[in-house]
Amino acid sequence: MPCGIFLAGRLGDNWMTALFSMDSDAGIESLMVRYQQGDFTAATALVKQLSPQLHRFFLVQFVSRPSADDLLQETWLRIHQVRHTYRPGQPVLPWLYAIARNIRVDHYRKARRAGMREQSLDENLEIPQSAAAGAAGTPDLEAILATLPESQREVIAMLKVAGMSLEEVARATSSSVGSVKQKAHRAYEKLRERLSGIGMRSLREGEPS
Amino acid sequence: MRNGDIDDALNRAAGAPPDVDPALLDRIANSMGASLQPVRPLPSSGVLAAALAAVCAAVALAGATVLGLHGIEAMSAARIALIFPVLLALICLSAMVSAGEMIPGSRHPVAPWVLLASGCLVLTAVFALLFTDYRHERFVTQGVACLKAGLLHAIPTAVISWWILRRGFAVNSIAAGVAAGTLSGLAGVGMLELHCPNFEAPHIMVWHTAVLAVSGAAGCLLAWAGQSLRRK
Repeated sequence: MPCGIFLAGRLGDNWMTALFSMDSDAGIESLMVRYQQGDFTAATALVKQLSPQLHRFFLVQFVSRPSADDLLQETWLRIHQVRHTYRPGQPVLPWLYAIARNIRVDHYRKARRAGMREQSLDENLEIPQSAAAGAAGTPDLEAILATLPESQREVIAMLKVAGMSLEEVARATSSSVGSVKQKAHRAYEKLRERLSGIGMRSLREGEPS
Repeated sequence: MRNGDIDDALNRAAGAPPDVDPALLDRIANSMGASLQPVRPLPSSGVLAAALAAVCAAVALAGATVLGLHGIEAMSAARIALIFPVLLALICLSAMVSAGEMIPGSRHPVAPWVLLASGCLVLTAVFALLFTDYRHERFVTQGVACLKAGLLHAIPTAVISWWILRRGFAVNSIAAGVAAGTLSGLAGVGMLELHCPNFEAPHIMVWHTAVLAVSGAAGCLLAWAGQSLRRK
């Protein structure tokens, strides 16, 4: 099944979630406008509301937790510096993730130049059993996504962690919707192969009876 | 395994994001609060693109007026009717891409390098279609003069474009450089089409198109150099 269809199907099944998400997006947009007007309460609310998903976005890209903390701080600092580039009425998440992505790429390049790049898991196609099982025996998102190349991992993280639409992911990654669909489709093909084995078994074992 | 199963697995694994240290969040919020002033949002990308396109057209027209409108005066109606609308379309698209590159999370109708490459190809094809005189007298001498004149008009366009977009933020500065270089190069090509009376096909296809290619490459190089300097 093409990626766009199953994503649309998911939206159709969970229309209440989609409505809630739209409501939540409108809330974030209004907070962003108030933040641009100099409202400290709105700035604090945005930091508290969006930081967990941003933090996870960094963790999914295989940065250590302390590095993810640093990247989170750096992202908010950059957001603060360029907050005037957000245009009211536009979706906040693509703007936010485009900046977060820029920070992550900078971090990656700096680390690579300094020869301290953390070990890439791109080539390690097996999901590590220990890492795959979370507290409830359910594989962590990080472990599941470990099998994917960076560009596909990023797209899946934005779709699943941030709950962004294909159009929003395309905006955040400066690419076309077609390219995002293609990456998501390829990612699902890879995940199908991997989850058929160890990942899915441990996932089912983790399900509450 | 169906896509729905993978979807479920991902949704379940995604769950609630892990907690972030509340002290860290307080620190971030307080550091933002320390310098929190009201800011004026950027104009819409449409307004910025219109301003960029206007600057590009104005520089081309002003330059050609100063140097003499010999090219357009000697051109047939068919050539005018095809060359200038194509140039205008490329300028508009290029202005949209340039504005989009300076606003994080905006729509990208086309990647800047694709725009540069396709712009060069389209112009070469249009010139090949309309100009059939394949003599090439003083090919290099006249060509270099046109290339220089075109690039000299790309520079003010780039400077004014930078001024218009100075409040923006490029998440990919090299892409923004290519886009700005392409837009500036189109101002140079526009000026040459209005001014240059040399209608030899090799001259127009090579040297006029080269203004666009060189300008785009220069934009890329300058952005790369700026990025490298900032990182040091």
